[in-house]
Amino acid sequence: MKKLLGLSVLAAALLGASAVALEQGPFTADQWRAGRALYVADCASCHGPELKGAGEAPPLAGSTFIAAWGNRSTDELYNLVKTSMPYGNGNSLDADTYRKIVAYVLAANGAQPGAKPFSGSEAIKIATIADGKTPAAMAAEARAPARGGEGGAPRPASFYPQTRFGQTVTGTLKSYDPVTDVMLAHPKDGDWLMYRRNYQGWSHSPLSQITASNAKNLELVWSWAMNDGGAAQVTPIVHDGIMFLSNTANTVQALDAKTGELIWENRIGPAPTRAYGATRSLALYGDKILVPTTDAKLYALDARTGAIVWQTVIEDAKEGYSNTGGAITIHGKVLVGLTYCNRYETKHCFISAYDVNTGKVAWRFKTIALKGEPGGDTWNNLPDEFRQGAETWIAGTYDPVLNTTYWGTAQSKPWTRASRASGAGATLYANSTLALDPDSGKLKWYYSHAPGENFDLDEVFERVLVDHGSSKDVLTIGKVGILWKLNRVTGQYEDSAQTVFQNVFDKIDPKTGIPTYRKDVQDAKVGDWISSCPGPAGGHDWPATSYDPKSDLMIIPLHQSCVLMRAEPMEKKIGVGGDAGSQKLFEMPGTDGNLGRLAAYNTTTMKALWSFQQKAPFLTGVLTTDGGVGFVGDFDRRVRAFETLTGRTLWQTRLPTSAQGHIVSYAVDGKQYIAIESGLGGGSPVGKPTTLLPDIHHPNNGNAIFVFALPDN
Amino acid sequence: MVSRHLGMAVLASGLLATQAGAENFETRLSPSPLTDGTRINVTGQGSALVQWDGNILSVSGNFAGLATGATTAEIYDGPGIGIPGPKAFDLSVTQDTSGTIWGSLTLSRKQLADLRAGHFYVQINSAKAPDGNLTGWLLPPHPFAGEGVPVAGPGFLPQFDVPQKASNR
Repeated sequence: MKKLLGLSVLAAALLGASAVALEQGPFTADQWRAGRALYVADCASCHGPELKGAGEAPPLAGSTFIAAWGNRSTDELYNLVKTSMPYGNGNSLDADTYRKIVAYVLAANGAQPGAKPFSGSEAIKIATIADGKTPAAMAAEARAPARGGEGGAPRPASFYPQTRFGQTVTGTLKSYDPVTDVMLAHPKDGDWLMYRRNYQGWSHSPLSQITASNAKNLELVWSWAMNDGGAAQVTPIVHDGIMFLSNTANTVQALDAKTGELIWENRIGPAPTRAYGATRSLALYGDKILVPTTDAKLYALDARTGAIVWQTVIEDAKEGYSNTGGAITIHGKVLVGLTYCNRYETKHCFISAYDVNTGKVAWRFKTIALKGEPGGDTWNNLPDEFRQGAETWIAGTYDPVLNTTYWGTAQSKPWTRASRASGAGATLYANSTLALDPDSGKLKWYYSHAPGENFDLDEVFERVLVDHGSSKDVLTIGKVGILWKLNRVTGQYEDSAQTVFQNVFDKIDPKTGIPTYRKDVQDAKVGDWISSCPGPAGGHDWPATSYDPKSDLMIIPLHQSCVLMRAEPMEKKIGVGGDAGSQKLFEMPGTDGNLGRLAAYNTTTMKALWSFQQKAPFLTGVLTTDGGVGFVGDFDRRVRAFETLTGRTLWQTRLPTSAQGHIVSYAVDGKQYIAIESGLGGGSPVGKPTTLLPDIHHPNNGNAIFVFALPDN
Repeated sequence: MVSRHLGMAVLASGLLATQAGAENFETRLSPSPLTDGTRINVTGQGSALVQWDGNILSVSGNFAGLATGATTAEIYDGPGIGIPGPKAFDLSVTQDTSGTIWGSLTLSRKQLADLRAGHFYVQINSAKAPDGNLTGWLLPPHPFAGEGVPVAGPGFLPQFDVPQKASNR
């Protein structure tokens, strides 16, 4: 008893006098103190040791937390943490651990311990017990833990299997044909040399052995378990019968694409510390593999051996930066984006290019327009340090004839106009298509798809280059679900098509394509709940489209759910940051609970030929092939082969966990293969159905690749 | 109790089915608004049918699987599809975790226009979800072709009063 009293006195001292006017919290000092170690082990890797939040993880202490949670109750906080945390692995800890973690979070917001332990069912308004002021002694203690791992954050004990890093398996490819500009522009039919296979971003294979009549005979040839932990949205890269795979922990492997035999492995590291932010692709050039890593570095590996040739820092991962979008190689340069630029600071997001042979930076293009620069007057006169976002988390595409590379950018940060204080400004170059000279990084033109975006509705996704007669077009689709068509020479708007129900825009100017936001969106203030259909999972998200040149069809994986979003206040202070938007989910009207939609659009007429719905949303990019067969996989572990012209299902199978990543096709010794991934850590496209579809279950491990083909006979 | 609810639902749907030439609207009722923090209290599912015969709006529906008993049911009139708005009508509701909703309503000209524009939604509240447990927007009948079964065209409901497709200009 005396010991308990002593602990309470110590706890009270740590918590300080700031909470004098507050009621006592529904937890004990023992609980919050025990919760601190559990928080470090299970939460700090995403939310930070000081509970400030980072990337997609919101702050758990301070004014932003109180603004979001002050009017909500302690049992709701407990239920949210218990059912959804650690991210992507809810309900994986015992109830007492969740109670202690919540007690720690409340204490870190100034709540004082009481005599009764927290059970999880106490419905106490958080603003009555906490004011967001972390006691000084507690803040100092939070800054103390050992650092390491990605972004300098502490690594959770049970997140990623203990392993050594470095070249863990040595081997040498028997032969390797260095990749040239000509090969990238005109890839061999059996190769998949880059993220979307070709510079145009089609995700289409010219292979045709698998047809609508024989797809039913597809069978598993080999499979390979990949690193668990972290996020996996891999695109296998295949050249001359060798498959290069990017695993979590920035592990790169070379496998015999015919047999699945491992040839070499380089575990670059560091270990993943968060369940989001996957590296989506590698890039090839000459005899090198270019590896943009989740800790915002760029590595060149010897393609024959996997040995590191050079490495360079894109940006400082300790400040939260990361690369997830992969890379594209053009004219001996490797171009990469940057993500998690959502904190207030003097730095800004950029696209950058590096010499493939040396790693020396060639140019940087900053994706935020600052004061005095062209477009700098689109931020409501905000100081430069409060202009953030415009991340590039999907690799660009390239037109060799026009010598132009096309990139999409994400929305500005924080998400809402009210939190940003950006008024009705377009916040350039957020949510835009950028056309850049790949040799100099000079901007040729830009097009702002969603000026002054308000709901975490990115327009960052793949730019698909298609010629219609003499018209050279670039198509893209973002989270609002509008398929945009621009002239890729001039950036002029040509057409658009709505692909799912949306209520964000009232109208789209038929000449300019400029959308008008709903009046209540334009007038929204901090604290208002505003409807967004689709919500932040899209419409369309990172699971990419495929363009079939034979039919002129773009096959688009679509997601159907809505949110109410509330703008939270964001303190204008260096170091503060985040997305500052609370969300409540609801079913998209008229969809009857079907979150998944696959649709085929003719890119000349912009009319839909067919579409189908299903309960589970899609979590793979689409693949189309010259055999007239397409492939797509979903949240419910199902993979379908479908007829491109009709959408008719030809074959299906199920994987150990959600089908997630980018499906590719390749050939070895004249035989066509289909490589399909299962994976975890898909961001909003996984998070939203996890909440809305609790009856769909998939294991929280199972990152792997599965290779299918027709039987030899 | 269950058979009584079932009987009322059958009666209501039978009545609705006999009104030839009437305008019909329907919705699935699903848990919302929803967060991981409220999911334990915001559960269940249901459906509602609405028929406008030219004079009266007849409402019938059923629900099941609530975590706590239903307290009230209402029709709201939002400014657009999927956009919450003010309450327009009270409905009758079984005060239980499963049951039926029903009502006969008179509409103003504006309310009829709003119904036809997809602005009406049904909301059932419960003891532990007093600000919304099940909701659904009333839209024209839209039969589901089946999981993965393709249909011609875009396949989603028309937008009523929200934007024109540029490709249709």
